[in-house]
Amino acid sequence: MQELKIFHEAIQNPGSVALKMKEKKRKTIGYLCSYAPEELIYAAGFHPMRLFSSKAEINLAESHLQAYCCSLVRGILEDSLSGKLDYLDGTVFPHTCDSIQRLSDIWRIKTKYEFFADVIMPAKLNTQSAKNYMRDVLIKFTTDLEKACGEKITRSALKKSIAKFNLIKTNLKKLYELRSQNPGILKGADIHAIVKGSMIMDRDQLVELLPAIVSKVSDVSALDQGKRLVLSGSICDSPDIYDIIEQAGGVVVGDDLCTGQRWFDGKIPENEEPMEALTTRYFERIVCPAKHSSTIARGENIVKLAKQTEADGVIFIILKFCDPHGFDYPYMKEFLDKEGIKNILIEIDDHSLNSGQLSTRLETFMHMI
Amino acid sequence: MIFAGIDIGSITAKAAIIKDNQLISTHVLFTGYNTLTASQKVFEELLSKVNISKNEVKTIISTGYGRNSVDFADKALTEIICHGAGAHFLNPEIRGIIDVGGQDSKAILLDNNGKVTNFSMNDKCAAGTGRFLEVMARALELDLDLLGEISLKADTPANISSICTVFAESEVISMIAKQEKRENIIAGIHESAAARIATLAAKIKIQEPVMMTGGVAKNIGMVKALENRLKCQILVTDSAQENGAIGAAVLASTL
Amino acid sequence: MNDKLVEKEKQKITSAKKMRDIMTTYYIDAMSAKENNKLVAWITSGGPVEPLIAMDIIPVYPENHGAMIGSSKMGEDLCMKAEDMGYSNDLCSYARTDISCAIVKGGPIGGLPEPDMLICCNNICGTVLKWYEIQARFFNVPLFIFDTPVCHTEFSPEIAKYVRTQIDEYIAFLEKVTKKSFDHDKMAEVGKISYQGQLLWQKVLNTTANRPSPMTAFDAFFFLALIVTLRGTMIAVDFYKELLLEMKERIKNGISIVPNEKYRLLWDNLPIWYQLKWLSSKFSDHDACLVADTYTSAWCSSLKYIDENDFLNSIAEGYTRIYLNIGVDQMADQVIEMIKFYNIDGFVMHSNRSCKPYSFGQLDIKRIVESKANIPVLMIEADMTDPRAFSQSQVETRIDAFMEIINQGK
Repeated sequence: MQELKIFHEAIQNPGSVALKMKEKKRKTIGYLCSYAPEELIYAAGFHPMRLFSSKAEINLAESHLQAYCCSLVRGILEDSLSGKLDYLDGTVFPHTCDSIQRLSDIWRIKTKYEFFADVIMPAKLNTQSAKNYMRDVLIKFTTDLEKACGEKITRSALKKSIAKFNLIKTNLKKLYELRSQNPGILKGADIHAIVKGSMIMDRDQLVELLPAIVSKVSDVSALDQGKRLVLSGSICDSPDIYDIIEQAGGVVVGDDLCTGQRWFDGKIPENEEPMEALTTRYFERIVCPAKHSSTIARGENIVKLAKQTEADGVIFIILKFCDPHGFDYPYMKEFLDKEGIKNILIEIDDHSLNSGQLSTRLETFMHMI
Repeated sequence: MIFAGIDIGSITAKAAIIKDNQLISTHVLFTGYNTLTASQKVFEELLSKVNISKNEVKTIISTGYGRNSVDFADKALTEIICHGAGAHFLNPEIRGIIDVGGQDSKAILLDNNGKVTNFSMNDKCAAGTGRFLEVMARALELDLDLLGEISLKADTPANISSICTVFAESEVISMIAKQEKRENIIAGIHESAAARIATLAAKIKIQEPVMMTGGVAKNIGMVKALENRLKCQILVTDSAQENGAIGAAVLASTL
Repeated sequence: MNDKLVEKEKQKITSAKKMRDIMTTYYIDAMSAKENNKLVAWITSGGPVEPLIAMDIIPVYPENHGAMIGSSKMGEDLCMKAEDMGYSNDLCSYARTDISCAIVKGGPIGGLPEPDMLICCNNICGTVLKWYEIQARFFNVPLFIFDTPVCHTEFSPEIAKYVRTQIDEYIAFLEKVTKKSFDHDKMAEVGKISYQGQLLWQKVLNTTANRPSPMTAFDAFFFLALIVTLRGTMIAVDFYKELLLEMKERIKNGISIVPNEKYRLLWDNLPIWYQLKWLSSKFSDHDACLVADTYTSAWCSSLKYIDENDFLNSIAEGYTRIYLNIGVDQMADQVIEMIKFYNIDGFVMHSNRSCKPYSFGQLDIKRIVESKANIPVLMIEADMTDPRAFSQSQVETRIDAFMEIINQGK
């Protein structure tokens, strides 16, 4: 499929995407977490781009972050310090975990991009005052962006932006649904490229490409089925993992990932007051473990997802040293165990994928389920 | 009918042959650099040992981390499944397995048919694996095979608490400098590795009877340390190291 | 008694015994709360405890419990029990020991008294949020989250409004759980007492600016327990008054804690609880005194924002702008102020695997301190409760080399 190539190329080289955007008079603002309000960044005339680690060897970041910091946070800092992110015009840090909190400080002190903002979101998402605070934070961020672009973000610009992101995210949701019905229509590595690319590429291009892909895969006739799997965790930015899963006889049919459904789920109502609608969406979206909505929200969600997708098993993919996910794992596992849903934990590190051990684990797991 | 299993581990290559549901023989070699050559060599040497020709072998299953490089095998299965089958073949009562090899350690749970129902495996860190013991043996300038016997003479095992192999090595070196008794240091090393392995066992709530397999099972000191940790008796067969290969041969007979 | 022993006796801080007795009584009271029809709240160390005291609820601190577990060298076993339950050994060791302790009832006091409610303030880290969720599920009790957004560069009006509103929500939560109405007069009184206690604690810590120092940071780690657990009570106020007197007395009589204090050091991050004795004698052998630390002073570092006569309104800022909830650059500024105030010759940083918000940024603070204060900095890799992350021989070599460097610079 011609479209896929574009996604694979874009994720290989986000810098060239940023340069093209510059030609279109859109400066690029990098972000680190799926709570970053892309819709606002875009409405201000910027190009929002999620940052991933290029997985380069850690040298410069070594003198800022100790070895017990996760590879994503260390990797992104390494990229910045080594000049790999010079194409950025700015960065925004939505408050997430302790590691990203400190990365924000180090970033603010050490790096020299034009624009910098902390969007200090609430950590609890179940009270009216927290929602009011989230709205206040989004309004403050709007003011920061307006200062940077020199213009007011109009109501209609925000509405247009919301509509555009809704279109992108709805198409991704459709793609996930199609894949769940007929796994194998796209390779795991291709879906990874599409979702990752959708956080990186020109949004004008995405609104053309995504519907095209959706319509192409809609017509594919039923393919061989493998063991149906759901992934749960923070990010899964190693396409190799998808290959290993497929070689072991599995197919991914859904996910609870920050670089997946947690990011694109939850359409923003387009006929409501835009700032209010935006706040509601970020307040009510599927919760990240660094935030609190209830003590059992994520456990209930993973069981629901596994049942909805008729999964044979769940693979927890957790970045080594990721505290929020590490604390949630035992209880989420317990929730799945209670329902008789088989599951396995894989701890990964962006910089060293032990594929031998990984395939041993996954092959045995497929054999078990 | 004759079936074979070949287990290519990080340090040694093992082969086993089964005829009419009876274990005929096993063979062990160092893996070396080329896993394919090692698999051919261990297989051929075993065949000539028992005077069987290649054509007589109906099915071959390969296992171990080098399982996919054995191009003459009919199928590749992970060592976890094969250790389960091997243990079940040798003793159908077994419900729990502790397999400690060169680079991995695993705890495995079996049902009464010898099928794996759950397992846990060390992370990429070497603590609690054969490699860990190898590093420590080198620091003590001792042959790896001697660790077990010597450790039995310990009166008070040294406390080596570090999780990290590099840290643990420096702890051992500083104990040598303080002239701590060698047997006590070794016993401490075993206890430290046993603590890590016991965590794997606890994660899957291991059940008795427990068998230990893999090359490290030959180390009597390790077995004793694990028995203390897990508070249960651990069975070790003479073919603990070849158990994965035996299991592979058993599974080959079911293909 | 020979002269040396007499000398040693004189050096001991006599208030230590009293403090032990107070803590014992406190834990006995907490353990027998149910029999006395009192409610128990578990609360994070940096959480607003005063409303609990005003409601006559007994606050219990899992973090203080973690410190006790660490000091009694029971951390390794309890950490491993948590790992058996599926918690990664990369997670905070306080959380790990507390989570397993709740189930196995282990540790030096056989586990904490069961909570009737949980109060979690995230001004110290995001870990407590997860930790308290786990305990809320386990004990099936109400959880109140006091959310204090991090002040990277400022305490913004948005944050101020949000945190202030939560104080009212907190009080409403307590009224609902206790089925009693909140006594604002009592609150005002408790607020004043809390303020007074923190002020006294600050004064105690300040006495070590004297040369030679009357106590070390190791003593401060010990005496800290009251400002954490009994903040807002007269017990803390009375005790710190006495302790302050003893310190002043020691200064007057020239009694130093380290016999030949030559070098004055500053400590960063949580203590290494299971190695306090060894570390203390290690530094003492080098004639070095750890006179201050960034940890124990965190319980009075935001006093400047608190108005004792308008306690509830002002603690919104006070509890939000504590040492760990600010930017790394502001933390470095505070360290440099301390270096000046206490006349510090060297800075010892504990890079603590368990505490990411305290440890990440340390390398930057290290560089800022080296360049602005021009003193040597030592970094020790360890963990506050889990001894498996500590290598004594490595640390020993580093301390020896560090002291040689300081000595050369003198």
